[in-house]
Amino acid sequence: MDRPDTASTCGIVLEHVHKEFPGGIVAVRDLSLTVEPGELVVLVGPSGSGKTTVLRMVAGLETVTAGQVRIAGRVVTGLSPRHRNVAMVFQNYALYAHMTVRANIGFALRMAGTPKREIHMRVNQAANILGITELLDRKPGQLSGGQRQRVAMGRAIVREPAAFLMDEPLSNLDAKLRVEMRAEITHVHRRIGAPTLYVTHDQTEAMTMGNRVAILRQGRLEQIGTPLELYERPVNVFVAGFIGSPAMNLLPARLDSSGDDWYATVGGCRIPILPPARVALWPFAGHDILLGLRPEDLVSTEDARDSEHGIIQATVARTESLGSELLVYLSLNSDVTSPPLTARLDRRTAVQQGTYTRIGVNLQRLYFFDPTSGAAIR
Amino acid sequence: MGMLMVAPAVIITAALVVYPLIKGFQTSLESADTAVGGQPRFVGLGNYGDVLRSSTARDAIVHTVIYVALAVTFELMLGLIVAVALHRAFRGRGIVLAILLVPWALPSVVSGVLWRRVFDPDSGLLNSMLQQLHLVSHPHVWMASRGWALVLIALVHVWGVLPLVSLILIAGLQSIPEEVYSASAVDGATPLRQFRHITLPLLRPSIAVALTIGTVWAIKIFDEIYVLNGTALNTRSILMEVYNTTFVNADFPHGTALALLLTAVTALLAAGYAVAFGRSTT
Amino acid sequence: MIRFPAAQLLRIVAIAAILLWSLAPIGLGVITSLSTQTDVQAVPARWLPHHATLDAYRSLLGGSGDFRAGGTVSESGAFTHALWNSASIMMLSTLAILCVAISAGYAFARLRFPGRGALFWAIVATTVVPVFTVVIALFGFLADAHLIDRKLGLVLVFVSTTTPLAMWLVHNHVKQLPTEPEEAALLDGCTRWQAFWHVALPQMRSGIAALSAIIVLLVWGEFLIPLLLTSTNASKPVTVFIPEYIGKYTTNYPLLAAAGVLAMLPPTVVALVLNRHIRGMLSGSS
Repeated sequence: MDRPDTASTCGIVLEHVHKEFPGGIVAVRDLSLTVEPGELVVLVGPSGSGKTTVLRMVAGLETVTAGQVRIAGRVVTGLSPRHRNVAMVFQNYALYAHMTVRANIGFALRMAGTPKREIHMRVNQAANILGITELLDRKPGQLSGGQRQRVAMGRAIVREPAAFLMDEPLSNLDAKLRVEMRAEITHVHRRIGAPTLYVTHDQTEAMTMGNRVAILRQGRLEQIGTPLELYERPVNVFVAGFIGSPAMNLLPARLDSSGDDWYATVGGCRIPILPPARVALWPFAGHDILLGLRPEDLVSTEDARDSEHGIIQATVARTESLGSELLVYLSLNSDVTSPPLTARLDRRTAVQQGTYTRIGVNLQRLYFFDPTSGAAIR
Repeated sequence: MGMLMVAPAVIITAALVVYPLIKGFQTSLESADTAVGGQPRFVGLGNYGDVLRSSTARDAIVHTVIYVALAVTFELMLGLIVAVALHRAFRGRGIVLAILLVPWALPSVVSGVLWRRVFDPDSGLLNSMLQQLHLVSHPHVWMASRGWALVLIALVHVWGVLPLVSLILIAGLQSIPEEVYSASAVDGATPLRQFRHITLPLLRPSIAVALTIGTVWAIKIFDEIYVLNGTALNTRSILMEVYNTTFVNADFPHGTALALLLTAVTALLAAGYAVAFGRSTT
Repeated sequence: MIRFPAAQLLRIVAIAAILLWSLAPIGLGVITSLSTQTDVQAVPARWLPHHATLDAYRSLLGGSGDFRAGGTVSESGAFTHALWNSASIMMLSTLAILCVAISAGYAFARLRFPGRGALFWAIVATTVVPVFTVVIALFGFLADAHLIDRKLGLVLVFVSTTTPLAMWLVHNHVKQLPTEPEEAALLDGCTRWQAFWHVALPQMRSGIAALSAIIVLLVWGEFLIPLLLTSTNASKPVTVFIPEYIGKYTTNYPLLAAAGVLAMLPPTVVALVLNRHIRGMLSGSS
């Protein structure tokens, strides 16, 4: 059963994993993914993207139609869950309602035939790490959401598993607790060091917690990389739109060149294109492209210096003050049908609703996409 | 493991329900006069024809239809009243619901016994009450007249089944969101119109379930009749006719034929309700 | 929707009527059981006895020898024995039905195996077959096996006729329970069986309580099946025994009522103690 593999003797490895449910619904298509030891990889995607299915296949709760799953260098594809030595935290915590917290956390050890004294010790240790020592004799029904979350964590870490799986563990908590537990999980993960696969639909969670983030759409892996990579260099329109908040503005534009002058025309505005981007854009000269502008890369004209910034003229449709910053919703050329544009500006920026305004665009931070395939051009 | 866990249930059902049914069907196709000692003679559907022509069986069928109609009508009407009165929270609701359940929990023989003294012609409380109110001049033998006997027996039956029907309707009422009522109240609907135009339509699935259960329970009515009026002809139900044919007259083929007819009707009704119910929910 | 006082009053009246309707027959039974035959036969009818007496109970339960019961003669101790018959049949049947129904209902709800859907619906479909039809056909088989007038025979019939319904109720109950705790157990090192035993079964506790209560009530109250399958006091349960106190011409109502009150005590206690569970299961899954 054991197969030494120099490339990845540890961690979680999925190779060409495919999942088709009875009835022909394909949930996961040809997915290859590695979670290195000590790494936390976040699987993120809209609902129905297959992320939970991936997790359940790693856990053995769902069979794999084709492909291979390895955990800690061992092929586990056909193995039942209990032989995989993985721990999982479920969205609804899945605590054993009839057992005390102590029995919940110690259950796996009990099943493994661990001596009572050792169970006691290790449960105490896990409870200590999570700060739930005083809850050990309670039943799950007497706990708050956050406390249950901790017990679920405790149940997972007490086993020292070869892999750690988390299925939207924070989605049942309120916003404040979620931020707190985010830090807590990251902290515990660093301490435990087991390779962790973490599923969420919340991109903030993904960006703040993941060493790497894998974006899934309709069962396909769109891109995997560090949060910064995904933000800076999305491979396609979907990733670009998914990462970042507010979402990237995607504007249909036309790419034109006259001699040394390259520009994209958007709603009557000409946005100059700097030389570094031109190599990749060469085949699109004279054609339509999708221009991506992040709201945070738009600035008020006072901050725009001519060499690095282009200018867009647009009508202010609506403004939203978030206190620390100002979200401005614009429409190009005062045309209702024209694409809306969101800008995230300094909170002191003075803009009036309904006025025609000039907005600076950071020319070094333009994204270009092929309008037919959606792929990034670079 | 799945196969292993269902095996006992499958074996028991197959051996003690399905097989006897098939065996029973076989018996129903054979002649009744096997007492001579010879092989039973195959008579096809003859026994079915016999029971349908027999006047006692026909009466029993008529009685059963009346029982079912009366029982279901009472149960639904009273059940709706009970449900409307009890589905909202009030102090002591738990106790009231617990008490409501008790008649259902009692053996139907016991309900019959409890009510028997009420209907007794000589020392009965019903007669006594009516006489004191000068509504009747002399004691009425309730179980002797067909009309009254059927109604009163149906009433005793309803006493035992009403709790079940009410609980189903209460659950149905509770599943109707409060906002629907608030919205219609804002639109100016009176409570009565709300009941007619909101409650009843939304309650349809529950009513269908209650109707099914009420019918299935009433169609096999036996115990209450037996205790209140024995196997007398004027109140005999189908099941009682089956009992009489099979065990008192020791005529298994005819008894089984009638029992299987009852089974078929029950199954058809249940299937019919299931279809109607399925349609009303989708 | 109802907030004005008239409606409020109407509801109070309705609740009072419901209580009266539910309790009056029971109260009447209790009063009758405490009366004497003279009280009962008085004209005009007497609602309350002149002197409450436990004579009826004494003659049912005590060893006071023969008692004339409107034509039928009841041997001493026979009623007590009938109660014991009912209790033992009920306990054995309930236990057996629970085992078979829980295991099958759970497996049908949770496990995957070939033929699951077809088998499940085949078993559930038999719930519409009137019990009686089955019993007629079973009669010959039971006679051959010498199980007529035996408690074991009754238990067997109760198990076969009640299991489909019980299994269906278990199935519906399990379907409502979350699957994750069992999955967590599988990951925690349980076999499928251990996950059932250590996690699923404890989760089903309230459902099993309700189910047990419902089976107890059904079995205890069953009349027709034991009427057919028993013939002597050795195996007759109370439900069959009670109608024998009904005389052809006159009936000893105090005795009959006392027997009824004794026979309804166990189900009443069960219904009152477990009423929340029972209500949940009846209204949830029927």
